[in-house]
Amino acid sequence: MAELEIRDLHVRHEDLEILKGVDLSIDKGEIHALMGPNGSGKSTLANTLLGHPGYEITQGAIIFAGQDITEAEPHERAKAGLFLAFQYPVAIPGVSIANFLRMAINAKRDEPIGVKEFRGQLETAVALLDVDRSFTSRPLNDGFSGGEKKRAEILQMAMLAPDIAILDETDSGLDIDALRTVAEGVAKLHKSQGLGALIITHYQRIFHYVTPQFVHVMLDGRIVLEGGEELVERLEREGYDQIRQEHGAVV
Amino acid sequence: MAPLSSADTETATRPPRHREATLYAPLAGASARTALPESAPVGDAASLLAALREQALSSYEAAELPVWRRSGFWTTSFAPLDLAALEVHHHEPAAADGADVPLPQAAAKRLPERARAGRIVQLDGSVISVELAESASAQGVRLCSLEQAAAEGSEAFHRHYSQRLTSDRNKLEAANAALWTGGAFLHVPAGVVIEDPFEIVSVLGSAGSAQHARVLIVGDRASEFAVHEYTLAEDFEGQALHTEGFEMYLSDGARCRLAHFQDLGPGEVYDATTRVVAVGRDAFCHWLPALLGGHLVRQHLELAVTEPGGDMAFRGIFFAEDAEMFDMFAVDLHEVGPSGGDVHWRGAASGSARASMEGLIKINPGAQQSHTYLQIHTVMLSPKARIDAIPSVLVSADDVSASHGGSVGELDEDVIFYMQSRGLDRTAAVRVLVEGFFEPVLGELADEPLEGVVRAKIAEKLAAARAEIEAYAAGR
Repeated sequence: MAELEIRDLHVRHEDLEILKGVDLSIDKGEIHALMGPNGSGKSTLANTLLGHPGYEITQGAIIFAGQDITEAEPHERAKAGLFLAFQYPVAIPGVSIANFLRMAINAKRDEPIGVKEFRGQLETAVALLDVDRSFTSRPLNDGFSGGEKKRAEILQMAMLAPDIAILDETDSGLDIDALRTVAEGVAKLHKSQGLGALIITHYQRIFHYVTPQFVHVMLDGRIVLEGGEELVERLEREGYDQIRQEHGAVV
Repeated sequence: MAPLSSADTETATRPPRHREATLYAPLAGASARTALPESAPVGDAASLLAALREQALSSYEAAELPVWRRSGFWTTSFAPLDLAALEVHHHEPAAADGADVPLPQAAAKRLPERARAGRIVQLDGSVISVELAESASAQGVRLCSLEQAAAEGSEAFHRHYSQRLTSDRNKLEAANAALWTGGAFLHVPAGVVIEDPFEIVSVLGSAGSAQHARVLIVGDRASEFAVHEYTLAEDFEGQALHTEGFEMYLSDGARCRLAHFQDLGPGEVYDATTRVVAVGRDAFCHWLPALLGGHLVRQHLELAVTEPGGDMAFRGIFFAEDAEMFDMFAVDLHEVGPSGGDVHWRGAASGSARASMEGLIKINPGAQQSHTYLQIHTVMLSPKARIDAIPSVLVSADDVSASHGGSVGELDEDVIFYMQSRGLDRTAAVRVLVEGFFEPVLGELADEPLEGVVRAKIAEKLAAARAEIEAYAAGR
């Protein structure tokens, strides 16, 4: 069984059925791309996987590391090794990145992390994301630019070392340099930590830096098409309309 | 002031709703001393004090317990207080050397282990211990009970006592001026710089206790020092009363960091406090009251720039829980210019607590080139909690800048989810959120032990409200 198994997932949000039966399996060390137009349900899937209280699972199950986490609290999912890089990371005024990370790391451990060990991990992560060390003293996402927020997301991912990460449009709103830094960061974590990832995006460009082995296309709350890397290029060339026409009967 | 009863609906006998700023404006900077009759003998500290006590006593006897009716939902009423049932409790003072006096439990629990320049402790009506570091004493610093300062004929007492406190605005203010006992007096002479803080501690010992505390602090020219005041109560059931008249005068170029930790515990404790800080020429005060507990807390806090070049940073924190009611009035008064001000308060409420925070910038005629800013930020942690944040600006000069801002918020579920998605459970996430909310002000204490004390109390309040905060979230 794969590390993350999504089975026949139906989800309601604000009285609308958004996901209408999603099946997806992601194993450690695999890079998956989830593509689809706005409103197709990609972010709903991301939020549901982490247990956002605003999303109600009406049918189906989420199995992670052999455990049914369909009803689990968000923090329990995080502790089990799931991570979500948010499309719109929120600000936490008054809490520095470093302090927040220390709390998050300690939440996973029985004994608090040692000062030296923490500093070592932080320095490695800072180097990976090409940010200044002073970055981690700033209040998390408070007054950050779009690029800084996304870097902070990947920095947290590097520090928390999840088994499976969901990256919800991490590439959107980034200039090309920031995109490269962020994408290469993901690729390095994939290589060094065996990170498995579900990369949610509209666009092809992030895949210049990190190559997906599996590509899934979502339309109207269902995955309608699956394939390999070549599917990314096809989408870029043809857009979603062509696929919508081909799979209209399913929708 | 007319008494209020439930049957009383006659507007003629009922105080009108008002903003504190409106009542205050004509009295800004007033002093009980100006109201003394010319015949009063005030040539020395003791006779001045006697005359002021006598004047206050007649106000006290004439007045009813105060009721303030505010705009909107708010009424602050001391009428439920059974004043006749309360007494001033006295305790044996320490031996002359001041050593080995055990702290009252509430103080032992809160006060941090730390280096300090001195400490004076009042339990109920009596000062029970005074200690002063030798280095401070050698430089002429005086720390003693206010009673003693008056009895010794202190020149600083004679010059400043009640210089900017009134005694006739309400019954409890009058009670304090007429009936205070013990008290604290701190005089830092010219040019003396003391790094460690002076601690002024008052503790209500038991139900039935009325404590009228009085503090006078004088910082002479170019002195620099820090004061931490702790206003505490033991854990008891039943009524008790803390009144306080606090005044601080900073002369030319003096600098003071002043902070208060106020937590009057879970009993039915009423707090009626007036504090005034007067900042002289080129002097500076960083003032941070942290108001963290009491059944009914009424505080008038006034920071006045009285001479050109005075500057101040006025910070504040409050957190009302359960059925607590806080009524706060913070004034940033500019009597002359040029002067600087910056007022920044942050407050929270949980349970069915109510808090009214009125902030006023007042710039007097002729106080040109005064520049100041007032902001009040609040967060409500339960659906029944209410916070009223009212900024006012009264400006009577034309070459000034004065503005205000603020926010009223609830817990942001998206932020909580964000933190949960990183592994923090809901309780921890809420705590991080609320601590982060207070941090911009709390961090300015720039004093780790005291920050720890305030943080611990905030954490206790959050822990107590845990179930309700979770229910609130689930219901939204």
